[in-house]
Amino acid sequence: MPEPEKNVTVQDIEAIARKYPAEKRFALAIMQDVQREFSYLPQPVFEVIHRHIGTPVAHLYALATFYKALSLKPKGQNVIKLCDGTACHMRGASNLSKGIRAALDIEPGESSADGLFSLELVNCVGSCALAPVMVINETYYGKVTMESLPAIIAEHRRASCEDTAASCETEVVA
Amino acid sequence: MSLNISIDGKTCTCESGEFLLEVARRNGFYIPTLCAHESLSEQGCCRVCIVEIVSGERSQIVVSCVYPVERAIEVLTNSEKVKALRGMTLALLQKLAPASSLIAGMCKAYGAPELPRLEARADDDTCILCGLCVKACAQLGTGAIAAVNRGIEKKIATPYDQPSATCIGCASCAQVCPTGSIVVKQDAQERSIWGRTFTLLACDRCGVILDTTEAVAYAATLRDAPPEHLCPDCRKQQVAQAFVGVYGK
Amino acid sequence: MSAPTHPSPQGSKRSGEQAAVEQRTLLVCCGSGCLATNAAAVADALAEQLALSGFDALVKTGIKRTGCNGFCENGPIVKVMPDDISYYKVKPKDADAIVASLQGEPVQRLLYRADDGKRVLRHLENPFYAPQQRIALRHIGTIDPESLEDYRARDGYQALEKALSLSADALISEVEASGLRGRGGAGFPTGRKWRTAVGFETACSYVVCNGDEGDPGAFMDRSLLEGDPHGILEGLAIAAVAIGAERGFLYIRDEYRLAQQNITKAIAQTEAAGLLGDDIMGSGRKLHLEVVRGGGAFVCGESTALMASIEGRLGEPRAKYVRSVQRGLWDQSTVLNNVETLANIPWIILHGGAAFAATGTEGSSGAKVFSLVGKIKRSGLVEVPMGSTLRHLIFDIGGGIKGSRPFKAVQTGGPSGGCIPENLLDLSVDFDTLTANGAMMGSGGMIVMDDHDCMVEVARYYTNFLAEESCGKCTPCREGLRHMLRILTDITEGRGQAGDLELLEQMGTTMRENSLCALGKSAPNPVLSTLRFFRDEYQAHIHDKTCPAGVCPALTAFSIDAAVCTSCGACVKACPAGIISGSKGAPYRIAASGCIACGSCREVCRFDAVRAERKLHT
Repeated sequence: MPEPEKNVTVQDIEAIARKYPAEKRFALAIMQDVQREFSYLPQPVFEVIHRHIGTPVAHLYALATFYKALSLKPKGQNVIKLCDGTACHMRGASNLSKGIRAALDIEPGESSADGLFSLELVNCVGSCALAPVMVINETYYGKVTMESLPAIIAEHRRASCEDTAASCETEVVA
Repeated sequence: MSLNISIDGKTCTCESGEFLLEVARRNGFYIPTLCAHESLSEQGCCRVCIVEIVSGERSQIVVSCVYPVERAIEVLTNSEKVKALRGMTLALLQKLAPASSLIAGMCKAYGAPELPRLEARADDDTCILCGLCVKACAQLGTGAIAAVNRGIEKKIATPYDQPSATCIGCASCAQVCPTGSIVVKQDAQERSIWGRTFTLLACDRCGVILDTTEAVAYAATLRDAPPEHLCPDCRKQQVAQAFVGVYGK
Repeated sequence: MSAPTHPSPQGSKRSGEQAAVEQRTLLVCCGSGCLATNAAAVADALAEQLALSGFDALVKTGIKRTGCNGFCENGPIVKVMPDDISYYKVKPKDADAIVASLQGEPVQRLLYRADDGKRVLRHLENPFYAPQQRIALRHIGTIDPESLEDYRARDGYQALEKALSLSADALISEVEASGLRGRGGAGFPTGRKWRTAVGFETACSYVVCNGDEGDPGAFMDRSLLEGDPHGILEGLAIAAVAIGAERGFLYIRDEYRLAQQNITKAIAQTEAAGLLGDDIMGSGRKLHLEVVRGGGAFVCGESTALMASIEGRLGEPRAKYVRSVQRGLWDQSTVLNNVETLANIPWIILHGGAAFAATGTEGSSGAKVFSLVGKIKRSGLVEVPMGSTLRHLIFDIGGGIKGSRPFKAVQTGGPSGGCIPENLLDLSVDFDTLTANGAMMGSGGMIVMDDHDCMVEVARYYTNFLAEESCGKCTPCREGLRHMLRILTDITEGRGQAGDLELLEQMGTTMRENSLCALGKSAPNPVLSTLRFFRDEYQAHIHDKTCPAGVCPALTAFSIDAAVCTSCGACVKACPAGIISGSKGAPYRIAASGCIACGSCREVCRFDAVRAERKLHT
């Protein structure tokens, strides 16, 4: 289980929540901001938002499990979104999924043991003409092939290691 | 505005905007329901209370519990189409809640097909995901349970499946559940529900069980008054005695 | 101006030479597709080269970052205006050649190569663009989406001004006369929706733009929101004027960051310029618009679910016996229109409903944007008149099937649409014809499939998508999908049973007739339509335990035909299992064990040497 990147405090979450007026309709927006900041929704989120806008904790929790943009589990430093929209599916997205499993030993929805990567199978990122498409963090990769895959992953692994001096001795030469 | 509609050939009068199910029931037609509840707002999700509306060549299947009557329509409560769709819908519910005797009985009564090819979700399940419990809990203002996940993964649960801090143990959810799916364990002192155990409060005078301590306290906050530790009967007697004290001679 | 004939990129008057030397603009497509292929770096490199060239001293040059041109597969795209020369697949290192060409000959190697091998100079000579008729997409690829001035220079906000001068009745009549039907899927007449909304008096009313484009394989809304944000805002503002709404929301998919940014920026620009906000163009009317980020749920494309989501509730639909125009957002009268629908509105107001109705068919007027993707040579966004045939779209515009394989089916209408086989390729593409043939218009996704696509697997894929995306509120949709998915998985894995197809049809009928919302009612379409047109393929899976397309891994084994193999080694690199071996000069072979039957080798083999056969179970 990867460690959450940052130690999230109630104050951090409150600061995000307070950017929005105390109206029920902002529940999703607040959670999305928290998600973006911390890569997941830590448990205190629901209590904080409840205090701010009044929506019951259980209902907020339900929202968090209903919307795919939100996650209750911490994600890896690099989030690989492998598009499994129709165009990508037809052009071999499932094979790429196998390729990623081979390279990182993770299934969709999981994070790698070193916390560097997590993999999500997503529905159509709207770049169908470039299928199959993979998005790592905010960078789009079009027409990804089994050949180009290892280099893309290696590039992000290298960048993460430089950034955070994370333990990278586990690097596997693909 | 009053309207005349035809239900299975019988002319029935109703107000514009009234739900079809109410009109039918008032006129002596029985339409089976699961997720409809008179004191909880419209849901229309179990899809068992369907009827067929015919107008000329066209026919439409509608869910009677949420269908507002707004024009003179001809309603068939038990057409072949209704029977087939209701049967299949009940059969699907039985695969979801194979342990529910209510659903099993309805399947039998409405001729639902047996579908051995389909796998049941879990052998001991009775929940049909109608959502009435969530509605009841929300209406009460506690909101301790909710529909978690979506699609075929949907279930009714507390956050993280942990005992809920906001649950007051009132068991309203269990009362509205059509299939008796919510487990409530209770003895003279305690009630257990949704993974939490609550102490029960008895009437100060007669000892009859009132509710959980939390539910009594919650009711008091709604009334903005101190918690009531008397059952309704004893409360009446107490008031009566007070009056006697003032006026009586 | 009358009905659109061809899109006329303003300023492309190539009649005289004089225009060419006064001002040159390099349009760099910065839609998501081109950004994915490094368009931002191309724009930077061009700017750098322009600065170095000193060319600016001679003529005024500029770089404009535009929205998506639709031809993403060939991106990044750079257009030189007013010469109207289009370059494709441009790399940063090509910048110097392009800048040099401004004073000389076009860069031949960057021009599009047509089917006959000839290089195509101009945008409109490209077979992908030539047959198109762009109304909704009229500005895309020519304007800078971040510039209000650029939009106003092209008649921007003139339609709104005109709308403000009309009575609500006259305004709505114009939209009714256009015959415009909702582009989001249901095809409800837009004018009639507005008219009905005016009839309901609630405390206030709202307009909503549905930008929760969720159909996998469709990206027209994304392109419009990113590339012509002011066009969408103007359309939404006109809707608000028509129904008297003072507040509006644009619900945009969470994944569409660039679209959210561009729209948010455009709203701020219009408010600062007094076009929207507290006093619309000095009319005394108010309109405040807000962007709402979608949460990532396909079902939120359904109008009542979308409104629930805006209100901060679970995105579950409600029964629509009472329509949203009567009881929508916070129980007030609400008009919700799709992005593409709104994109057509300013054009209709400026040019008249009749001009719009002159294009298309009687029941489906105007043009429609399709996203042509899948196993097709030229994929991207195209806008053609309603009533064009599928054959025209796929073979003339799309250039036919990739690798010249046989066409098998085209899936239209998103996940809950249907698959149309070859013998129906001459069908007219309009709302009613597609529905009559078990498919639907949906939002306009067209996914082209070839003989290497298994229709049972396609049905399973869509059913799986829908099972994940169903909200789970009503019994038929949730439970129907649960069991359909299980049975389809069984069939693709060789566990299909006699009677399965009838059972699928029986459940499908119940779902279609008895589900709560449009998603549930159309959820069985992928299964029902493939059963209708490709039943024999299902039967082969069930009875012969074979996948005729060679796709389903449990039923398929691959081998390399030694007589055909040129030992090029492409399959070795593609094999994720690493079990193909061989050496130059000798045919390659797939090891007897370890093959996961993914078919990667077959896809990359240019010599058709990889054979799919029935897997023999021992």
